[in-house]
Amino acid sequence: MLVWSRSGRIGAWLLFSLLFGVIYVLPVAVIAIASFAGQWNGVLPSHLTFAHYARAVHSSLSAELRVSLITGVMASAVALVVGTWAALALRKIYGASRLVLDIVFFIPSAVPSVSVGLGLLVAFSRPPILLNGTIAMVVVAHFVLTSAFTYGNVSAGLARLGPEFEQMAESLGARPGYRLRHVTLPLITPYLIAAFSLSFALSMGELGATMMVYPPGWRTLPVGIFALADRGDIFESATLTVLLACATLAVLVGLSYIPTRAASRR
Amino acid sequence: MAPGAVIDDVRSAVRAGSSWSSPKLGSGIGFEDVTVSYGKLVVLASLSLTIEPGEIMALIGPSGSAKTTALRAVAGFVRPASGRIRIGERDVTDLPPHARDIGMVVQNYALFPHMRVEDNVAFGLRARREAKEAVKQRVAECLRMVGMSAYTQRYPRELSGGQQQRVAIARALAVRPRVLLLDEPLSALDAQIRHSMLQELARLHEAMPSLTVLYVTHDQTEALTLADRIAIMRDGRLVASGPSQALYREPPTRFAAEFLGRANLLPVTLEAADAGDGLARVRLGEISLLVKARPGLSVGRDCLLCIRPHGIAMRPGGRPSNELTGVVRAMQWQGDLHSVTLETQGVLIRMICAPLRDPPSLGVRFPIHFAAEDATLIPEDA
Amino acid sequence: MTSIAAPAIRRTSFNTGWQWVLPPLFFLSVLFFYPLALIVRESLLGHGRSLSLSHYDAVFTSGLFQDALLHTIVIALAASAGCLVLGFVLALVLSFVAFPGARLLARLIDTFIALPTFLVALSFTFIYGSAGILNISLMHLLHVRLPPVDFLYSAWGVILAEVTVYTPFVLRPLLASFSLIEPAQIEIANSLGAGPWRIIRQVILPAAIPALLAGGSLCLLLTTNEFGIVLFISAKGVITLPLLVYDQAVQEFDYTTACVIAAANIGLSLTLYSLYRMIITRFGGFRAGLV
Ligand SMILES: Nc1ncnc2c1ncn2[C@@H]1O[C@H](COP(=O)(O)OP(=O)(O)OP(=O)(O)O)[C@@H](O)[C@H]1O
Ligand SMILES: [Mg+2]
Repeated sequence: MLVWSRSGRIGAWLLFSLLFGVIYVLPVAVIAIASFAGQWNGVLPSHLTFAHYARAVHSSLSAELRVSLITGVMASAVALVVGTWAALALRKIYGASRLVLDIVFFIPSAVPSVSVGLGLLVAFSRPPILLNGTIAMVVVAHFVLTSAFTYGNVSAGLARLGPEFEQMAESLGARPGYRLRHVTLPLITPYLIAAFSLSFALSMGELGATMMVYPPGWRTLPVGIFALADRGDIFESATLTVLLACATLAVLVGLSYIPTRAASRR
Repeated sequence: MAPGAVIDDVRSAVRAGSSWSSPKLGSGIGFEDVTVSYGKLVVLASLSLTIEPGEIMALIGPSGSAKTTALRAVAGFVRPASGRIRIGERDVTDLPPHARDIGMVVQNYALFPHMRVEDNVAFGLRARREAKEAVKQRVAECLRMVGMSAYTQRYPRELSGGQQQRVAIARALAVRPRVLLLDEPLSALDAQIRHSMLQELARLHEAMPSLTVLYVTHDQTEALTLADRIAIMRDGRLVASGPSQALYREPPTRFAAEFLGRANLLPVTLEAADAGDGLARVRLGEISLLVKARPGLSVGRDCLLCIRPHGIAMRPGGRPSNELTGVVRAMQWQGDLHSVTLETQGVLIRMICAPLRDPPSLGVRFPIHFAAEDATLIPEDA
Repeated sequence: MTSIAAPAIRRTSFNTGWQWVLPPLFFLSVLFFYPLALIVRESLLGHGRSLSLSHYDAVFTSGLFQDALLHTIVIALAASAGCLVLGFVLALVLSFVAFPGARLLARLIDTFIALPTFLVALSFTFIYGSAGILNISLMHLLHVRLPPVDFLYSAWGVILAEVTVYTPFVLRPLLASFSLIEPAQIEIANSLGAGPWRIIRQVILPAAIPALLAGGSLCLLLTTNEFGIVLFISAKGVITLPLLVYDQAVQEFDYTTACVIAAANIGLSLTLYSLYRMIITRFGGFRAGLV
């Protein structure tokens, strides 16, 4: 306990509440209210309405939500496989080459998303690989931007796992494949789920690279939201932002309910 | 579950002609000049040791003496820089662990936390793709064997330390290993359970006499209780090995003597290497003592006389017996025994005896005795 | 298991296993490093046939680029500093001033990482925009006709939004390192007569240094790379390198210039990333989550 006096503690709480309220509660609350706002010319909206939501559901924008979800799931799934594979493979490598490879798998997270998009445009608009104008461009962009996070999460999980369970499995006669399927992967399941969740969330909010590479007909929700905001339809874009956030959080909450028998160990 | 019931189960399992006793004959362990190093650091230096089929060999030594390293070399988790490792007739040096046909129990058991007890025990059998029915039978059999039949559906975290230990042993035995490797299996248990588990291990081995066991521990009581033979390690080297009793009675070195239990080590000079009847005569200060002869020591040489505390008594016993007089310097009552420290000829001698009705007070002089056959000579090492 | 002599399994467990790294490495090389290399190539080659630094020369001397670079650096530094201060204050109260629900609040702040970054920028339009709550209220209160607060449309708006979004990245490692400080340590300091400020300065701050460095350098990297917030606020004259790349490529279709700027941006980002790596290698343990 840092502050003993009652007044000091109340002061600290007030400071915290003020900061927390202004910086975190206010923006979310305002977005939420705006998504229901009919007109907002005063301090508070003049009346509330479901009209934005009704329009969002019926317009092409629900298609954009679908695009975002599909892209997010596909990119995160690929990132999960590649990241997990890389993290597993790297355990067998020691010394300086391991450090170098570790950095190699982390670097995509350090490059700005717009540059990733630009790189994809430059690289895949010419032979030997022509992807420009396809859905794959968006998925690839999202994969590149999230792969480092899955790799990092799975690596952290493996580092915590320690060698004893796998060695025990090996001593009992389990070949590498069997061991991976029945011991290693089940034990790091919480980290796999966390990795997928994180990359899915990042993909759902991705804007920079997507703006560079999306083909007609495969517009993700963030791009749609920006188009609306740019036109001045800020209430509608608030509605869609709420929908996007809710969809993302719903998926994350759903993922957190996947039962992991290893979860309650330690 | 009472240990008695367990052993009855074991016996009936054995009588029923079950696979418990299906021996993999010739499955001893052989270290042939095995050296293990981490980078430039040699942690295990040319270990040569043979463990006979059906034998329990205890590997003991202080912390960091490479006991675990030696065991892990047999399991295949560390690769020797040179030398060969044999299990049975097979040279396994180049085999991966999963092909070595071993059972292993480690200090913290490493039970798979995401599997129930029965799945833990079944793991090795399933990994070997054994038939479902056979797996089920074998799992039940092994759990009965260690007295854990009532816990098949539990997860490891729902078991006590001792119960986890039993499951770990059942899991290791389920695959009918050629050799069983135990790395300080009892050190995570408290003293009382440790003692009963020790007896249970002994009974298990009684029921499976063909099972070869390499038992790593730093506790000499465990080693002496369980092992047929003991190998003592120090700083990555094997410094002594032999049948447990012989090693205890006639330790070859000072280190071995001290490591296997309390010992009085008295500086003596050899007076006569052969005084008849396999005895030798040594001088301690001003008196002359009869002790067991040890070949290879020359007259006039300084050596150590090793007498275990309980080899010293207040009355003469065994023949021929030596008598000396000492001054009581310390006195300790330890419940079921008394420990007395006496000074004689300028050295301190510790003796252990049954609780004394009226213990001598400090400073009193009185005579003590020890039989010549309880006193062995150790060449004084640097 | 047969007990016949050694089968043909040779030394598998001792293999270094290089071959297993190759598939993910190949995948990443094609989809990431190859495009990255082409950016650099394009920036050096342009429409010409030979490699030259002339494009760099042209871009680096242009006022637009210099402005963007300056803005990027100033915004990143200011936002990271803000994150450090805000994160430290929040973590301090969350860890050392007990109140019910502190853990829940910490987790709530953490979920901000999962939300799209532009959410904050958008909501700032409603709060601090020229027709936002704050301005309308002030206009009513002060009886003025023009909105008195217009920081949103300057670099400050971007900075404040980035502080909101990236503070969790400082908060995470800070909470982790504060949880390692023994309460007894603070109680003892207290019993020796040290007041709260003294304890913060002499006990808590030193313990927080690694977390602050790790979190701060990560914030520096992320704010340098931030695109969504800057785009949504689209303050006049506040343009950063990522936004400039986007403008050049998508609005002007000038890929060569875009590639030059992107290469510069990537260079800056990688420098910051190596700073971050150095810090976490030096202090270990305090990875600010995520990267
Ligand atoms: N992976 C490793 N890298 C480097 N040195 C190691 C490694 N594993 C063990 N060692 C060293 O090898 C020596 C022997 O270790 P080992 O674990 O075999 O000792 P031990 O006899 O089992 O000790 P204990 O009784 O404490 O378990 C120690 O000095 C240890 O520091
Ligand atoms: Mg050990």
